[in-house]
Amino acid sequence: MSETSTRRKFIDTSCRVLGFAALGGAATLLTKRASAQAVYQVDPLKCISCDLCRTSCVLSLSAVKAVNEFSKCGYCMLCPAYMDVTSQPDERGVPSGRVCPQDAMKRRVVGKEDLDDPNNNYYEYVIDEARCTGCGKCVKACKPPAGNGSLRLEIRYNRCVTCNECSIQIACPEAAIVRVPTPGMSPVETHGGPPHA
Amino acid sequence: MPNPPAGPPSCGGRASRPLWPLLLLAVAFASSALLAQYQKKPPDFGGIYAFPTPTHPEPRAAIERGLDVAMLAAGLGLAAYLILRRRSREGVVLLSMGAIAYFGFYRKGCTCPIGSIQNVTLSLVDPRYLISLGVIAFFFLPLVAALLFGRVFCGGVCPLGAVQDLVLLRPKTVPEKLERYLRWLPYVYLVVAVWFAGWGLPIATGASKVLVARRFLICEWDPFIGLFRLSGSFHMLAIGAGFILVGMFYGRPYCRWLCPYGALLSILSRVAWKPVSITPDRETYCGQCADACPFGAIRDFSADRATCVACARCYECCPREIVRLRREGIPAKRYVAGADARGAS
Repeated sequence: MSETSTRRKFIDTSCRVLGFAALGGAATLLTKRASAQAVYQVDPLKCISCDLCRTSCVLSLSAVKAVNEFSKCGYCMLCPAYMDVTSQPDERGVPSGRVCPQDAMKRRVVGKEDLDDPNNNYYEYVIDEARCTGCGKCVKACKPPAGNGSLRLEIRYNRCVTCNECSIQIACPEAAIVRVPTPGMSPVETHGGPPHA
Repeated sequence: MPNPPAGPPSCGGRASRPLWPLLLLAVAFASSALLAQYQKKPPDFGGIYAFPTPTHPEPRAAIERGLDVAMLAAGLGLAAYLILRRRSREGVVLLSMGAIAYFGFYRKGCTCPIGSIQNVTLSLVDPRYLISLGVIAFFFLPLVAALLFGRVFCGGVCPLGAVQDLVLLRPKTVPEKLERYLRWLPYVYLVVAVWFAGWGLPIATGASKVLVARRFLICEWDPFIGLFRLSGSFHMLAIGAGFILVGMFYGRPYCRWLCPYGALLSILSRVAWKPVSITPDRETYCGQCADACPFGAIRDFSADRATCVACARCYECCPREIVRLRREGIPAKRYVAGADARGAS
């Protein structure tokens, strides 16, 4: 083997060893601060239900959906998130307009229905997820004091493709999309910090 | 005596006391009473009704996330075996189709090593940034593979590369001069993308407040992620269509002239341990490998480690390889006739 070829081989080998060392060092450093996973979630305290969740998700039907927390719901007859309370009432005094542009919110009477006076009934409000676009109109209408605040927008993990960079997060004016290691965790307690601060 | 502005009514008898806090209090009471008819506690249904619990779909389980990393590692290993050991172009094509299916359409293009450059940068710059173990593995595994076997990730595992490789119908060569300039673009893109991910552009908003807008440019301008998701913004889909059109005639335009991860891989594969090599001691100097390479990676009868993306096209039409395959009893494939004809002419 010629001298240049031996030298070339030596340089190659040392560069390779250096490369492995650098990669190993960087990987160790990063692994120390790593978490098992990172998911996006909507911070309900910051969310202003502005409709950008519907429009800015990379999916044609957004991964953000409205969710009804039944334990907080008032089961009201006159639900401001279900019906447009400013619309024309029908013959029984129930507003005829609906808040949801997709008609994704359905309600059914709980228990025995009083047909004469709807005010005596309790209604269970269920969101049809296949129809919900995540526009947040119902969430906005349910906010206290008008409603109980039982509705909120949530990133549905069966739809979210966990993009490396969430385009809703970029669009959100309130920085309400946060990255957390476990869903439901507050970003403060996890030192998650906003990635696009 | 301290005078609370909105105290209980018992201390409201003082003449000097302004009336408005009381009025405010009254209005507050009245409005809360008005609103109370809407603000209801969940009613008591007397046991005839169970409150449904809203569904909260769980994010991907640990085993699924582990499977991603395992698939990447297995893909890299299989690519190295198929390309360097078996020298099988067909094997590589099958593997890259699998990569399109899994990393492309099933995983919708995320996580990908190309984008992970930005997560790693941001995590190094800002330790508060949440980086997950999977992303770290996706960043480092192909780099380690490049130090060992060259750019086997590009050849067999990268779904973006595979898409372009499959649409390459009529390979044409780019003028040498142009190619020399284009080859620098990935490094420029890498620097720009790293800068945007780690530091971003400082935007002055007002007198002293500076807002830093960190952006993941690589993800925002990814060519084929719109294809994998079958949805996306117009610019993404247009770029993807453009790259596919160009890629029909010029091999892997994104990999060669834009991919920032390809830039990293080509730096590391310069010192690869066992990269794709045109075996010098069995060389026939026919030059068919150089003709077959759509990327201009074979010069002077040797494969350039930095530009070779390990697609195994050179092995496919090497007369020596065809003889070896025949000797091993592997049935003649359609390309054998073509290679023989070209060898005879």
